[in-house]
Order: sequence, then structure tokens, then C-alpha cells
Amino acid sequence: MTACLLETRTVSRNFGALAAVSDVEFRLEVGARHALIGPNGAGKTTFINLLTGVLRPTQGRVMLKGRDVTDIPEAQRVKLGIARTFQINRLFRGLTVLENVYIAVSERLGIALDMFRPAGARRDVIEEAMHLIAALKLEDDTGRRVSELPYGRQRLVEIAIALGLKPEVLLLDEPAAGVPSAESHIILDAIGSLSEQIGVLIIEHDMDVVFRFAERITVMVGGRIFAEGTPKEIAADPEIRAVYLGQAYHG
Amino acid sequence: MILGVDVASMILGGVAAGMVLFIVSVGLSVTMGLMGFVNLAHGAFAMLGGYIIVLSMNYWGVHFLPALALGFVVTAAVSFAFERLLYARLYRATELDQVLFTIGLVFMAIASVTLVVGPENQQLVLPAMLQGQVDLGFTQYRTYSIFLIAIGIIIVVGLWLGFERTRIGAQIRATVDNRRMTESLGINVDRLFTITFAFGSGMAALGGGLGAEFLGLDPQYALKYLVYFLIVVAVGGLGRVTGVFYAALLIGVLDFALKKYIPKGGTLFIFGLTILLLLWRPQGLFAGRAT
Amino acid sequence: MIVAAIKPTEHLAALAFAGRHRPRVWEPAPWIFAIAFYFAFPNYLGFGTELLVTILFALSLDLVLGYAGIITLGHAAFFGAGAYTVGMLAYHGIWNEPISSLMLAAIVAALVGLGSGLVLLRTQGLTLLMLTLCTMALLEEAANLGHEYTGGFDGLASLPIPPLLGLFEFNPLYPRTQYLYVLIVLFIAFLFVRTLIYSPFGQSLAGIRENTLRMHAVGSPVRARLITCYTISAAIAGIAGGLWAQANAYVNLTTLSLDRAAMVLIALILGGYGRIYGGFVGAVAYMALAHFLAKLYPTGWQLGLGLLLVVIALFARNGILGIGEALLRRIRAKHMPQ
Repeated sequence: MTACLLETRTVSRNFGALAAVSDVEFRLEVGARHALIGPNGAGKTTFINLLTGVLRPTQGRVMLKGRDVTDIPEAQRVKLGIARTFQINRLFRGLTVLENVYIAVSERLGIALDMFRPAGARRDVIEEAMHLIAALKLEDDTGRRVSELPYGRQRLVEIAIALGLKPEVLLLDEPAAGVPSAESHIILDAIGSLSEQIGVLIIEHDMDVVFRFAERITVMVGGRIFAEGTPKEIAADPEIRAVYLGQAYHG
Repeated sequence: MILGVDVASMILGGVAAGMVLFIVSVGLSVTMGLMGFVNLAHGAFAMLGGYIIVLSMNYWGVHFLPALALGFVVTAAVSFAFERLLYARLYRATELDQVLFTIGLVFMAIASVTLVVGPENQQLVLPAMLQGQVDLGFTQYRTYSIFLIAIGIIIVVGLWLGFERTRIGAQIRATVDNRRMTESLGINVDRLFTITFAFGSGMAALGGGLGAEFLGLDPQYALKYLVYFLIVVAVGGLGRVTGVFYAALLIGVLDFALKKYIPKGGTLFIFGLTILLLLWRPQGLFAGRAT
Repeated sequence: MIVAAIKPTEHLAALAFAGRHRPRVWEPAPWIFAIAFYFAFPNYLGFGTELLVTILFALSLDLVLGYAGIITLGHAAFFGAGAYTVGMLAYHGIWNEPISSLMLAAIVAALVGLGSGLVLLRTQGLTLLMLTLCTMALLEEAANLGHEYTGGFDGLASLPIPPLLGLFEFNPLYPRTQYLYVLIVLFIAFLFVRTLIYSPFGQSLAGIRENTLRMHAVGSPVRARLITCYTISAAIAGIAGGLWAQANAYVNLTTLSLDRAAMVLIALILGGYGRIYGGFVGAVAYMALAHFLAKLYPTGWQLGLGLLLVVIALFARNGILGIGEALLRRIRAKHMPQ
């Protein structure tokens, strides 16, 4: 039996009259490689925002490792082991790649209140950041400002920051969007080399990425869970092919 | 009875002052709401208008109403040029850059007016028909205050109709609420902003002229009353015509009353109240929504 | 050819980061200038003292504006809080020993910063701008009204400031003690700020400035961090104000005025914010210009200042130091074609 890392219980979120997410029951297991797919406007990003605490649900509960975190704000949930990347880059654009990752690692280690020691003196933090940078093939850009990098490379920084938090739950919101296909394998490799203890949830439109990565797929349509199953089951389901996959997946 | 009349005349005076505050501030609120542009030079446009109006009356003998129209048109034209040539470069800049740029404009306006016209106060001489008192039945009251209130009501009703009933008004409201959505609908937000900016500066010019009688008109005007205009906008809410109207009346009446009853602590009270109001409703007292 | 795998920490950019806090060769220069000034211009020490105070004030503003990205128009609130602490304690004969008075000024200003920061820093953008402005105006008005304690509009003059350490007289006509005293305090404060901005804490402030939302997403307690920074900055501004009151032996409403807040903001921007020496360069440039031009052509000075601000906002957002950095980059690029 696998343990449950992250769980939602009848979670809903309304924006005025619009129900963006309705009655979602969702489980992310330890070691999961889980994909969340669905057409644009299906409520996927809203769902991620509910999981991370950017938004509060209108009703329902969010459980992290068996603990009710519904009322815990975003920053504190990160401390409990949940990290995410953003669909649209949210980076420290004026800072270097190394500084971007350093910030994440130092927040995780809780040394960010240290005012009296140079950041450069924490070799352990730099070393850890450099390992992440190497894992995402960003070494040549280490000292460059993020704003000077091509968009695709910035996406890699986005992931390096999230990995710097050493999460137990990693939520990736369209990590490969805007990454040239020649480089998208870097992302998959980096995620593939993560520990088996980490549960990963990925939102992705690129079906190649989804079917290469995911061991389990949830399909969301109109704010509700439409179907859930293994990639084989999902790919074989004629209804899903009709509703969502369409021509997108030839496999 | 005496007290009642006293209170009534105090409220009338405050309302008249509030009308001027509204006429000056409404453009600032709409342009800030549209573009999120922090325009600290708004008071400078009010001052420019005030000078055009008062000087054209004093030196060329233009009548009051045509002078107001002249002030509106010239200031709107000048601000149009400024917007296209300079402001437009800073839409996507940081708030800090916008603050610096507009403070720079204020300094330049103050210095230019001092150099060209001189540092002294310019007296607005009202036409005979607006001088003196008018009988309101229960009390005598200054004709000019009644005139200001009437003008203010006409303007607020006109603006409200323009906002609610015209195409451009609908576009402005939509943009204030959700800029990205409006742009994706193919509305040219930049052009919308240029038009509102010029119109709002024209309104400020009117306010500068109309208020010169009791606010005075000297080169420091652009800075002296800026805090009041900003308070009105912050309390009324960005991009809200009616909100700014209520806020202007509130501040106008409060200021008038406080100066009368607690001449010493009045300003302290206004600043304190503004802080409390903004902490309670950071989007403004009359913003009407949370986001 | 053998390609040796270099350790990640030996990557050039990593080494540069690890050593970025080390002093540069030219860093003693401003302090040598300051000491040279003392000997070269004994008749300008009053001006020099004012300049050093302004640098300290600009340094405190840089911490919130340049590093944490908080835009404030009301930083004189803390300068004034410090100045009035020193002034009122000395005038009413409660306490006037210079160094401990300065510490009290720092504490009072820090408390004002903490109190206002706790409430103000919940907001942002225009609202925050307005609230900083209103807080300062509120204090100014309070100082104006509390005539019995603060001297009201006239302020408190002829403050009895005893000799520094019981040895060095504060002579208002020959402000030699003042100059050196302020210089030493500035140096200590500078060392503190310099350490802070290169620390992990300083790095996290830069993160907040660059992307507040992402800071939440990496688990940073953003508001607490901002309040901490705001309070520290307020304390330093309070020290600057306290020094000003001690050096001049008076305190008045100008210490709390919008003029002073705008002046320090302009000086910092002129030099280049978010650079620890921006305040130095900006204050020198601004004060020198103001000192010589403002008296001769006050209106022309204001016009030029306005034009300068417009030009900076449009074309030179990083101030004088930013222009210098761009030039340096260009020269280096020329000499190193690779």
C-alpha cells in the first residue's frame, strides 16, 4: 500500500458565479509521477493554486501528509514540503542564475535571516545550488542575469528554484511550455533523476511529454475530474479521445 | 437656530470646496486606474490651467466662462503632447521611475511659472454676477459657492452619463477592471489612455481656475495641494468617478469643518483619518470590490 | 587533451559569487577623500558635515528602496524622529550625552519604523506611497502642534550638547568635532549596511524586490522580512537625524518635511539606487550642485533639478553609477573582443 502525500477532499473554488474547480477528490501518492491534463480553462492552474495555498478553496479541504493545510498560507506550506513552478516564469529577473537558486536553497535551510555573514561564505549553499544548475545544464549561464537568458533557459531556472526547496511534493505547471523541443529532455531528465520518495504532479499540454513521464493521468474538464487512470487506460478511452485528446496524440 | 444656519453654511462651503477637489482629482483617478501610472504632475496641469484662466482674464479681459474653456482646451492640448512624447515611454516602467519623472515635471512647472510669471499670488477677479451673496431663504450665502456647487453637479452628472452610457466610457470601465482582457478584445488601450489623459488634465485645468478664488494661485500650487488630490484619489478609489466624487465631498467638508472648529489639529485629523481609511480599505473607500 | 571535471564550486561564476563581498581596491578612496577634505577645506566643514549626514540618510533609504524595493516618499519621518529625540531630550534637560542620545534616537526611530511598518507594509503601490506620505505628514503636524515639547514651528534651538566623550567640544562655528564624529558614525553604519546587503538576508531582500510572488512560493516570510528591513533602515535614518540635531544644535520641522524626504530620494536616485555607493555619489553631486547653484539661481536650480529627474527617469535609470558601469562595460568589451 502506498502512502498518500497530498489529498483534496471535495475541493471547490468559485470566482463569483463561475465555478473554476468543483468537488475535486484527488490523491497524490508517494513517488507518484502523475499528470494533470485537460483543455484550456479546465481549472488546472486554479487547482494548483489551491494545492499551494495561493488561493483558498470555497469549500473542501486540502491535506498534506495527512495534515489539514487548508488554512495554512503559501509560504508556510512550502516549509511543509510542497513546491511548484509557474506556467509563466516568475523569476528574480535582475539577479543571476546562481543568485536565483541560492535564494531558494537559503530559504529552505532557514539561513535567510543571517545578516552578519556574507552569502558567499556559505559554500554548502553555493555547492548545492551549483549541483542543481549543473543538473539543468545551466552551468554556462551561472553568472548571467536571468533576464538576459532565452525563454527556454529561463524555464530551466524556474525548475532549479523549485528543486532547491527539496520538496516532497513537486507541482510543475507546464514546465516544457516555451522550451525548444531539443531541450525539453533536460527537464524530463532532471525530473527523472528525482528521488523515489517525491510525488510529482505535472500539468502539460505536450502529450509526448505526458506519456513519456506519467504513470498515472487525471483528466480535468470544466473544473471537474473527468477521468483518471494509467496512460494506457486514458489513451484507450474513446470518450477522452473524443473530448480532449483529439488529434493531439497519435500514439 | 443660529447653530443650524452655521452648520448649513459650513457644509455649503465644504461642498463647494469638495466640488473643486473633485473636478481636479477625477482625471487623476481615471488615468491612474487605467494605466496604473503614478502621475504626481497632475497638480501641475491644474496649475497651468489656473494660470491660463486667471491671466487671460486679468491681462486680456477675457470673460470668466470663455477663459475656463480656453484653459481646458490649452491644457488638454499641452497634456496630449506630453503624454504622446514623454509619458508613453514610461507605461511599463517601475512606479519609482514614474514618481521621479512626474516630480521632475512638477519642479520644472514651478520653476517655469516663477520665471515667466513671477512668484506672487495671482488674484482671480470674479465677474460681477458671481460676486456677493444670494438669498437661500433660510440664510444668505456666497453666490460663487452656489455657482461652484452647480457646476460640480453638472460635471459629475455629465461624467457619470459619459461613463455609463457611452462606448468610450464602457471601454474605460472595462480596462480599469481587467486591462489584459480588454486588450485581448482588441481595444486600443493606449489610445484610450491618451484621450482620458488629455480630458482629465483639461478637467484639472478647470478645477485650477475655479478654485483659484479660495485656493490661491502661485507657483507652489503644483506641490502644495498634491497631497490633497492624492488623498481624494486614494480614498475614492482608482478609476471610480462616483467614488472620487464622494471622497472629494467628504474631504472638502471635513477640511472646512475642522479648520473652523479645531483650527490647530485639523490637518492632523485628516492625515490620520486617511491612514485609517486606507488600512481599512486599501483599494479605496468606494472601490466596491476587493481586487 | 584531458578535460578535468571541475568541482561546481570552482566554477568561475561561483567563485565570483563566493568572493563578491571582499573589498575592492578602490573602496578606501571615499574615506581617504573624506579625511583629506577635513584638512583641505577647514572652512567648509559645516557643509561637509551636512553632506556626510545626507550620505548616511541616503544609505538608510537605499536599504528599503534599492534593496527591498519599497517605494517611500516619507523617509524623513524617521530622520525627524531621531532628530526630535535628541533635540527634546537635550532641550528639556533630560539627557544629552551625545553617543547614548544617538542610540536613543536610533531606538525611537526604529520603533516608529516598526510601528508604521507593521501596518503600512500590508499594502503596496499607490496606497503604500500615500501611507508613507501621510505618516510623515502626521508626524510633522504633531511636531507642529506639540508646541510645549517640540517648539512647534520654530523648533528647538541652542541645544546644550556636551563635549563628545567629555573631551571634544561641539563648536558651531568650527565644526571639526562634528565632522569627524559624523564621519566615524557613517563609517560604522556603512560597514553594517555593507555586511547586510551581501548576506543571505540581503540576498533575500533582493529576491523580494525582484519578485515578491516568487518569494512567497519559496517559503519566505515576505512581510516579516520587509518589516525587519524597514525597521533597520528607520534606525539608521534616525541616527542620521540625531547627528543632524547634534551637529547643528537645533531641531525644527524641516527634519520631518516632504522637502527633506524628496531631497534624499533625489540624491540617491541621482547616484544610483541599489548600489551601496549610490548614496555617496548622489549626495556629493546633489549637495555640491545645491550648495553652489541654489543660492545663486534658486529658480534655475529648481528647473535644472526637475529636468535632471525627467532625464534620469527616461534615460538613466541607474543614475551616475549606472552610467559609469555602462561605460566600464563598453571599455572592457572593446579591450576584450571575445
